[in-house]
Amino acid sequence: MGRRRRRVDRGAAVGALPKAIAALSRTLPAGPSPEIFRRAKFDRPEAAPALWQLLFRVLSPLSADGASASPAQGEPPSTEAQVRAVKSELRSQGYPRRALAQLPEDGSQGSRELLLALAWLLARGPLLERLLAQTRVRLGDEIPLCECEALARPGAPVPRVEADGPVDIRHLQWLMGKLRFQWRKLITSQQEQCALLGKIHSYTRGCHSDRSLGHLSVAETELLRDAEGGQQLLRRLESENVCLEAALRWRRQELVFWRWMDTVLGTCPPEASQPTFVPRIPERGAGEWELVARELQALQEELRGAAEPRRAAWEARVGGWGPEWSAVQRASREAVGLELAALQRAWERGGAAAQPHGPCRLVKSDAGASGGPGLRAAQVIEVLRSREACLEAVLCQLQRQCRQELARLAGALPGLIWILPPGR
Amino acid sequence: MLPADCSRRLVAELRDALDACAERQRQLERSLRVSRRLLRTWEPAETPAPQPTPAPETSGEAPSPESTPSSQDLKELELLTQALEKAVRVRKGISKTGERHKALSLKSGSAATSATTASAPSRPSGQASCRVSETKPPRGIQQTVVPARGLPESRLLSVGDRTRMGRGSRATKPGPGPRDQQIPPSAALQAPEAFTLKEKGADVDCWLPQPLWKPCSGLEGGSPQSAASLSTGFPDRILLRLPMAYRKAASRNSRLWAQLSSAQTSDSMDAAATAKTQFLQKMQMTSGGPGSGLSAAAVEAEVGLLRTACLLLRRRMEEVLSADPADCMQEYRCLLTLEGLQAITEQCLHRLQELRAAVVGRQLGPWPVGRRPGASLPCGGGTDPLWSPQLLLYSSTQELQTLEALRLRLAMLDQQIHLEKVLMAELLPLVGTQGPHWLALCRAVHSLLCEGGERFLTVLRDEPAD
Repeated sequence: MGRRRRRVDRGAAVGALPKAIAALSRTLPAGPSPEIFRRAKFDRPEAAPALWQLLFRVLSPLSADGASASPAQGEPPSTEAQVRAVKSELRSQGYPRRALAQLPEDGSQGSRELLLALAWLLARGPLLERLLAQTRVRLGDEIPLCECEALARPGAPVPRVEADGPVDIRHLQWLMGKLRFQWRKLITSQQEQCALLGKIHSYTRGCHSDRSLGHLSVAETELLRDAEGGQQLLRRLESENVCLEAALRWRRQELVFWRWMDTVLGTCPPEASQPTFVPRIPERGAGEWELVARELQALQEELRGAAEPRRAAWEARVGGWGPEWSAVQRASREAVGLELAALQRAWERGGAAAQPHGPCRLVKSDAGASGGPGLRAAQVIEVLRSREACLEAVLCQLQRQCRQELARLAGALPGLIWILPPGR
Repeated sequence: MLPADCSRRLVAELRDALDACAERQRQLERSLRVSRRLLRTWEPAETPAPQPTPAPETSGEAPSPESTPSSQDLKELELLTQALEKAVRVRKGISKTGERHKALSLKSGSAATSATTASAPSRPSGQASCRVSETKPPRGIQQTVVPARGLPESRLLSVGDRTRMGRGSRATKPGPGPRDQQIPPSAALQAPEAFTLKEKGADVDCWLPQPLWKPCSGLEGGSPQSAASLSTGFPDRILLRLPMAYRKAASRNSRLWAQLSSAQTSDSMDAAATAKTQFLQKMQMTSGGPGSGLSAAAVEAEVGLLRTACLLLRRRMEEVLSADPADCMQEYRCLLTLEGLQAITEQCLHRLQELRAAVVGRQLGPWPVGRRPGASLPCGGGTDPLWSPQLLLYSSTQELQTLEALRLRLAMLDQQIHLEKVLMAELLPLVGTQGPHWLALCRAVHSLLCEGGERFLTVLRDEPAD
């Protein structure tokens, strides 16, 4: 009885794995067939190119409008370039296995290693959801509230002919001025775009079937105006729906895949323990570390120098005070604790969860629509203002440090009067 | 002149910043083009060219007071008033939409044709007056939602208003003339339709998307989209309804995204999650030695965060030190704050040492080349990000503009901070070593580093009096 049941289970499991893998590749861009995965388990060379391509597509940055990864040159990069890009990206993300780095660059071998790399990426984080979100069809007028996504996608390094020779500092000043001007231009264009958006939103009020939205977005209005573009949008939307369904299927079935990956890992020969390998810390990384260490130590010294005498003086004063003082002391301690915790949240990662994050769809609604879902612009503005104050403080601090340093250096030369520009 | 390698690095950084800015500008221009194109069909009043109504222009742009009010214009105005009043009456008594709709359109069609046979005074006057009173009618029309009767009235009012504004003595005057001419063919057809459709379903405002009228709002009606091609340039504008296929796909899309976001927490997910962690651990073990679990990029990002932390701590310390404690309580709080800051600084130093150990002792990949460092302040969306966008409600254009301006300012500050750090690292050592043109260099460096390149200081040589 048990044996029969086990056989039935195995039969079901055998069917479940290709289905799960099929769901996975349907979700991924350029996903290979389940057969490729099976071959990769046995490290067959014919499976390697497809997996290199898959990893390249998964790891490479996407262009700004969410189109699939296509470099500026307009044609896919060569296999060697793809292989190199994949290797360096995995390395920088901390991929533990060294065997990947040793694979040949013509992309002909190593399918099992690539399979392990793919599984590693899938296991570490919500890879599929992130990929889908990056290529999502944007139906509404969206505004990203934080820049983390924009920064997480490093732009493709543009090969630029740089001035090799020495450059005058006036060139740098000119570049800075150009940058300031560009920002001003950007701000005015942005204001105009907001005004236009506001108009479109108010003109199309009542047109949307979804009550919570109430009006059309630019994309939807375009859809009405331009039938051809509308068809394209519809097609993209439908293909995204197919991918989303595949992702949900994958979710339900992925346990089978992970069990299978355990067996794949088992077939790999274990890597030898690490030989002594001293990594060279490049100057830039080391430089910043040194700088921060120095600054923190200096700060610690100053704080100690400020706090210790005060503590001593305080203890001397408070010595004879009564027990009613302790309640007040406790209250003060709590209040100060809260303030400092708030300060720490400004730079610590986990603490800022309350901040709005991610892209938001703009919806124009009359003021006072309280109690509905969604963020209110007024609140977001508050949060952004506090962040602005924080960043401005950081910038002022840096500038002050520079001023002190320059004053110290300039003071070495007597016989000069330095007239500072009028303050802000 | 700066040394070559220093120049190269700095120029590269500044050009990166300029490219990032240019990229934003490009995206913005794209959106602007789309928005402008969309709005042009709604507010074409700037350019007389694309107007569908043929009208020979007799005079220039300004509404000429001397265009005589002919009796024909008065007649047209009367016809218009009658047509609209009829429409209102019909709407009141209407029960079925279909047949009435056709009947009305025939009737108003006949009224319209008689109006169009009249002569056409200059168009620009109508346009200019349209521009002038652009802000006025939409208000009036928008507010008259429920009493549809108010609609033709307000329109007449605005017609009258305009004449009063533009012309003075003569009451019902020619300015609106050309408009009335254009109105009957389309509006009289559309107005009853709008009214009848309003009956049908929605409790929303009417939509009258005239080329010259500012539309009030959208309409959700029952008639199929294809039937509504009466308006002039913009197809399907009477019933601005999204196509059914699109609506289905969009709702399915949002449902699937919601499922995907919520599917993160369920029982089967836990089994998969444990399987994943086990797999990762096994992989770590078979790769020959314990890894640090940190990637080079993460270490670099944390070091940057600690630098920001240092700056913020220092700022708070200076605030506390410069404040004058008024009483014992405040003194005590200052003391506690300083001690608390000291504790946090020690924590940061400890963390820095840990990161150092991770870099030196373990195998980390090479530092990513050419990648821009992370933001100065992190955002906390680590745990459960929403994959589909949430709604952001704004109430006025000013609010939206403030929001966007703040966002841009944050990005700009981020960039400035990064550039400041880079420039500090490269330029300060140069000032330390005195070379030729040291004064000019010093002055330029001061302006770049301390004033953001906006202001310059002056250096005076203090010559002795002899």
